[in-house]
Amino acid sequence: MSAVTRVPSLLGVALVWLWRLTFGALFPTTCKYHPSCSEYAVQSLRRHGLVKGSARAGWRLLRCNPWSRGGFDPVR
Amino acid sequence: MIVSTIPIFSQLEDVMKHVLNFFHSNIGLPWAWSIVATTIVVRVILVPLTIRQIHSMQALQKHAPQMKEIQKKYKQDRQKQNEELMKFYRENNINPAASCLPMLLQLPVFIALYYTLKHFQTNFHVGKHTDLSFLHFIPSIQAHTTTHWGGYVLLVVYVASQMASSFFMMTTTDKMQRTLFMVMPLFFVFIIARFPAGLVLYWVTTNLWTVGQGLITRRLVAKTPAPALERRSSRTPPKDDGSSGNGAKSEAPSPKPAPSASQRPRQVRRKKKRTSRR
Repeated sequence: MSAVTRVPSLLGVALVWLWRLTFGALFPTTCKYHPSCSEYAVQSLRRHGLVKGSARAGWRLLRCNPWSRGGFDPVR
Repeated sequence: MIVSTIPIFSQLEDVMKHVLNFFHSNIGLPWAWSIVATTIVVRVILVPLTIRQIHSMQALQKHAPQMKEIQKKYKQDRQKQNEELMKFYRENNINPAASCLPMLLQLPVFIALYYTLKHFQTNFHVGKHTDLSFLHFIPSIQAHTTTHWGGYVLLVVYVASQMASSFFMMTTTDKMQRTLFMVMPLFFVFIIARFPAGLVLYWVTTNLWTVGQGLITRRLVAKTPAPALERRSSRTPPKDDGSSGNGAKSEAPSPKPAPSASQRPRQVRRKKKRTSRR
């Protein structure tokens, strides 16, 4: 990705960090996946850009529910 | 504010307005207690999720010794350690205790409550003499927490309850993380002090719920038989009182003390190496 197209995804990454430092910090690490949901979001935003990346991160968050198996699930 | 013009936020605020209004007008609770009631309703809705969590926590406790072994084995490589743990969960059908969704579900409630309290006057057309106090020590749930001494009391209760709830929610055995989460509320209190007191009330209530839940869970877990840890102590030979013919077999573990004793200094040395590398 070029520097210009990377800007929106970096905005997304900044939002994830905002979450991490505020509400994320309030709860002990609870993710059942590895990498954790927030880490997954950062990686997928970097790799796929803002739209596709955040869609993938959103889908991951939905999968991170008490009925799923969890486990090793890297960004593809 | 720009954020409040985003449609989803105003919709959230609308829903919260109706819920609070229901508790205040239909059930007759004071405004502050309506917030407490709303919090309890949210937590009751989340109960099915927490029951799942309790079950998986029990499963985790059962397999704790094996997991500790994995953690020890891959001590140097955190990434590998996590991957192996996840594999172990899969193989043993364990659902790791918590997940992100229940935690995330509380965020919309929080945002909704924030905006509802912010626009309290216009939302509910309250006059100057409307009772917005809570338990006689907080004069107004709408004002900033630090505007009255009662707010400071609430903040202290918040820190205590947050620490206690972190204690019960904690699933990691990592010491660094554990201390981090215990210290975190001390920093967060500076941010939360700027919020309306009603919002802090929400946090305190939800934390106290978590603590209560944790206490009940601990009792329930304690009732189930604790997993018998297989101790490899070599001092006590396996019991075989009746069968005298097995006496020769019981000699097998006896040569163990020597290697375990010799391993100790080695472990210390390894630790030193690791610290020097990083």
